[in-house]
Order: sequence, then structure tokens, then C-alpha cells
Amino acid sequence: MIKSLLATTALLASATMSFAGDLSSMSWDDIVTQAKEEGEVTWYVWYLRDDFRRAVQVFEEEYGISVTIPEGTAAGNSEKMLAERDRETGDIDVLAWGTDGFATVDLAPLFSSLSVLPADDGRVVELAGFDGGDHVVAFWGNQTGIAYDPAHVSADNLPQTPDEFAAFWAENPGKFGFNYEKGGSGPSFYQNTLRVVADIDFSNGEVTDERLAAIQPGIDFFNEHAENYVVTASNADSIIRASDGELWMVPAWEDHLAGLQNRGEVREEIKFYIPEMGMNGGGNGVAIPLNAPNPAAAAVFVNWLTSPETQSMFNKDFGTAPMNTAADDSFALVPNEQRAFRQVWGAQPFRGEVEASFIDNVILER
Amino acid sequence: MKLRRGLLIIGLLTPGLGLILALIGTVVYIAVSQSFGYYSLNGTSEFSTEFWSKMAGRKAFKRSIQYSIYIGVFSAIFSVALAYPLAIWLRKPFAGSNFIGAVLKAPLLVHGLVAAFLFINVISYHGILNQFMQWLGIWSEPRRLQNDPNAYGVLILQTWKNMPFALLLLTGAVQSISDDVLDAARDLGAGTWDRFRRIIAPLTVSGMQAAMVIIFIGAVADFSFQVIAGPTNKQSLSQLMVSFKGRGDWHSAAVVGVSLMMIALVGSAILAVVARMVMRGRIK
Repeated sequence: MIKSLLATTALLASATMSFAGDLSSMSWDDIVTQAKEEGEVTWYVWYLRDDFRRAVQVFEEEYGISVTIPEGTAAGNSEKMLAERDRETGDIDVLAWGTDGFATVDLAPLFSSLSVLPADDGRVVELAGFDGGDHVVAFWGNQTGIAYDPAHVSADNLPQTPDEFAAFWAENPGKFGFNYEKGGSGPSFYQNTLRVVADIDFSNGEVTDERLAAIQPGIDFFNEHAENYVVTASNADSIIRASDGELWMVPAWEDHLAGLQNRGEVREEIKFYIPEMGMNGGGNGVAIPLNAPNPAAAAVFVNWLTSPETQSMFNKDFGTAPMNTAADDSFALVPNEQRAFRQVWGAQPFRGEVEASFIDNVILER
Repeated sequence: MKLRRGLLIIGLLTPGLGLILALIGTVVYIAVSQSFGYYSLNGTSEFSTEFWSKMAGRKAFKRSIQYSIYIGVFSAIFSVALAYPLAIWLRKPFAGSNFIGAVLKAPLLVHGLVAAFLFINVISYHGILNQFMQWLGIWSEPRRLQNDPNAYGVLILQTWKNMPFALLLLTGAVQSISDDVLDAARDLGAGTWDRFRRIIAPLTVSGMQAAMVIIFIGAVADFSFQVIAGPTNKQSLSQLMVSFKGRGDWHSAAVVGVSLMMIALVGSAILAVVARMVMRGRIK
């Protein structure tokens, strides 16, 4: 009995591996046929899971492939992928991760080639300084900026530079808040302010004492105005307190704000803009681990996820910047011309050291 | 015979003690090893004291230690201080005492995260408390009470959550004191305070110590109350550990984790000794 079980397991494992290996030599139609036989795909994505479970119903109806989206955090999912990389067959078919996360690993030993997907020049593989090459394709474009309450802040007089923000803080003490942890919108704001005030090149990840010392003018800037701004607990806390009327301006993610507004959890009156000094934008990508249990279904799912139709739907439903050039972006919260102010997230490990320094010298000094 | 008896004792202890030692031992082993550079997830695994020396020089680490001890000590003291009079009041059953006891223990059934969110709703800028105070005319405009810099919100939540646990332990201890002993003290002229100081406190010191130590260990490692209702200008050790882990810096996270375990161990021992000395009247 045990021998039979072992033999069956070995047969199934080898069959799975042969499927994974054979995809490159299969036509797309054959891959779709194979995907339907596999019948299921597990997508590890760490945010908006309930919304995604609704959104993927279109895919499930079109292909007859059921999509499972397990609960999990970004760190938890990526750590799981790394932890089970040596397993013959893992649990993850498609992994969603921030482009900055993908940038921390060597892609080829971990992920399948996406060259099996049908040609689509509109797909985005280079985003925010990250090149996914053959292994990662972007499916979610996001942008940080400033959410504001037009009842208190005129759209004609929005702060665009650190000095203008400081003037706003002085005129309206306690009405601007940002987070330094639990979400990237606040860090995007303070890092870009540091970049402009201290004239720092965040694209260089090198850490030296001189470079860290050079951010001091930016640290001084925040400490000089410490009484006039509020530090919030998280991205969500910032937006909710703006919607509640406590705060008038807060850094936010465009897609996060749009999603909350679409679900009626944040007032529709709250507006969003990208200041001229620049704030970070980027996105999330998807990749198929080499040991994905359903590699064909995973490929078909990634193709659907990055198609113009799905990206247009995401723009409408979630307010994302579409990650297919053929998609419709008319539902975005900001006009296209403001996207010129997008900055790339700072390179590591310098960015991490700046974050630590900011916490030590600004947050803990309050 | 001695060998057989020894093996029998080991065999009887193994299911309970063995499991505990295996689970705790492996976690402690991994954490200590990682804090010294081993079990690296992203880089080379090799012995290094760099993570400890770098952490020791960090302002955030020192502040986190002070803050976590502050939360742990005061949460334990407030919880026990509130629980004592209630335990004495509920010592002898009276009409409705079971109901009151059940209501007082209700916070044990509410998860800390839920309690923290409820608390935030109550004290938020346009929350019930602000509206009530304005309605009374005491405050002319809403006040920002959320994430207060002195962590009073966290202490309130910790006390609310842990007081019922202290009450459970102290009620049993107080009820075990016989009426004869207290009556004799009363006959000898001892007032309420003297009866507490000379009779109840010394006879319930073990229960009080257990409550103090368990509450201290839980509160010193607080994460959920801190991230929701805690001050934004301070980080608890757990919060700091999670932030390092979030950046992929497992070695620094392990340093904080091991420090947290040591503080819980040493801190609870000190707290237990001091509490015993105070309750037995050796420190006045």
C-alpha cells in the first residue's frame, strides 16, 4: 500500500514537473487547454483580497478555472515563497509582490519565464526603476500623493514644495498628518521632502556616513515645524481622519483612496493630487514560482490579469494606474500631466538607513 | 529501583514538560542564533556580534526598552490595584455578586484588537467622548485624544483587559482567608486598612505575585494596543521587532526579540520580589 502511494506521489510529482517544463514548447492554445484541465489557480496577494475575489469571478467564468486567494501579508507570502523554493511542488501558483520586493531577490532561480504568454506590447515589465525581464510583469500601478478636503483647502492653492507645505502647517497647525510606518504614503512624503530640502540622490543606494549626514537639513526642517503637523498611525488612519474632518491634508495612495471611496468608506469629496516636488509611484507585479502546482493555469491567469480589459476594470474599480498601455485610464484620481511628478522609491540600503534616521531623529524627538 | 523510578518520573513529565521545553527551547535557540548572525534568510550565516553592538547604539532600541518597561510595570500595578478592592468586595457572596463578577470578567472575552478599535472609536476626534464633552459645554471644540504621547490610552486598555485576570487570581486568594482570622483582627482593634495591610496582603501575596508577573510579561510585549492606540512618537519592543522583520532584517529583529525575553524574565523576577517585600511590609 505504502509502495503504491509513494509510486503514485512520485508519478504525480514528475507529471507536474513535466508540465512546468513543457510550457515553453506548447502553443498558447495548448497552454489554455492544459490550464482548464488543471482547473484551479492559487493567487497569493496581500491586499484587497475580498475585492480581488469578486474581480476574478470574470476570469473564473471565462475559463472555468477557479481562483483561490488565501489570506496573508506581503511579508508572509514572500517568505513562504522563499521558504518553499526547494520543495518540488509548492503552494503558490501566482505571487503578487511590490516591485521593490521583487528587486530584493534573484528572479531567474525563483520564477518561471513569462515568455510563454501571448505577445502584448502593452504589458509593463519596467516600472519605478525595476525591470522584471522575463519573470515579472506589473499588474497594479499605484501612486502616492496628497489627499485633501476641498471644504478647507482650495484646489487653486495646493502646496507644491516643502516650503509651501511648511507655510500650510504654520497657517493650519494640526491639520496635516502623515504616517511613518504601516504604509508607504507617509514615508513617500517625508522622503521626498528630505530629498528636496537636503538635495539628496535617493536613486543611489550606497550608504556612507557623509551621505547620511547630508540629510540633516531635511531632519532640521521637520523638527523646526514639529508642533504644526500630526503623526498618524498608518495609511488608513491618515485617510480616515481626513474623511472624518480632523485632518485637512494627508499623504495617501491613489488606489487606496479610490478603493475606500468606491466602497463608501471615505467621503467622495476628498480629492487627491501629486505635488510638484514629487512623490513616489510604483506598483506591484506578479510572477509564477518555478514550483507552481498549476503552471498553465497560472500563465493563463497572469495573461488575463495584465490584459487591457482587466487593467481598465482595475482603473475603474480600484483607481489604479493601468499596467497595460492599451487600457483605459479615464477613471484615475489625477490627470495624466500630474504623473510627470512621479518619483521612484529610493534605492536600498540607503533608503532603509534614512528611514531609521528619520525615526530616531524626528519621530522619537517629538 | 532508583533508575526505574527516575525513568517513570521522566516519562510522566515528558508529555507536558517535554512539549513545553521543546517548543520554547527551539524558539529561543533560533532567536538567539539569529541574533548572532546564524540562520540568515537572505545572506551568509556566520557568527557575528555586529547586530547586538549596532542595536545597543540605537536610540530607538533604548527608548523602546524604557517604554515597554513603563507599560509593563504600570499595567501590572494598575490592574492589581483595581482588582484588590473588587476581590475583597466580592469575597462573600451577596445578591447579584455573581452577575457583577461575570460582568467584571467580560473583558477577558474581548480580543485586544477589538478593544483597541472600540477605544479609538470612543476617543476619536469626532467620537462619543468628544461629542459628550462638547454637549456638556466642558470643551468648546474637539480635542485630539488618539495616540496620546504619554500612552495613557494604552495603559487604560491594558488595565481594562488585565484587571479581570488579576481579579480571578485575587478573588480565590482572598476567599481562602477564613472569617475567624479577620474577625480576630477586628476584635484586636484593626481597622480596614490594617486588616488589609497585616492580614489580607501577606496571605494573598502569592496570588498577587502571579497576577503581577503574568500581566507584566503580557504588557511588556504589547503589540496590538500599541500599534492602534499607542503614541506615534514611541515604539514598543514588539513593534520595533516587527518593523525590523518587515524590512527583512531578521537578525536585528532577533536581537530585539531576545532582549524582550530577557526583560520579561528579569523584570518579572524583580517585580515579584519587590511586590512580595512591599506586601509583607518590608518596604514601607
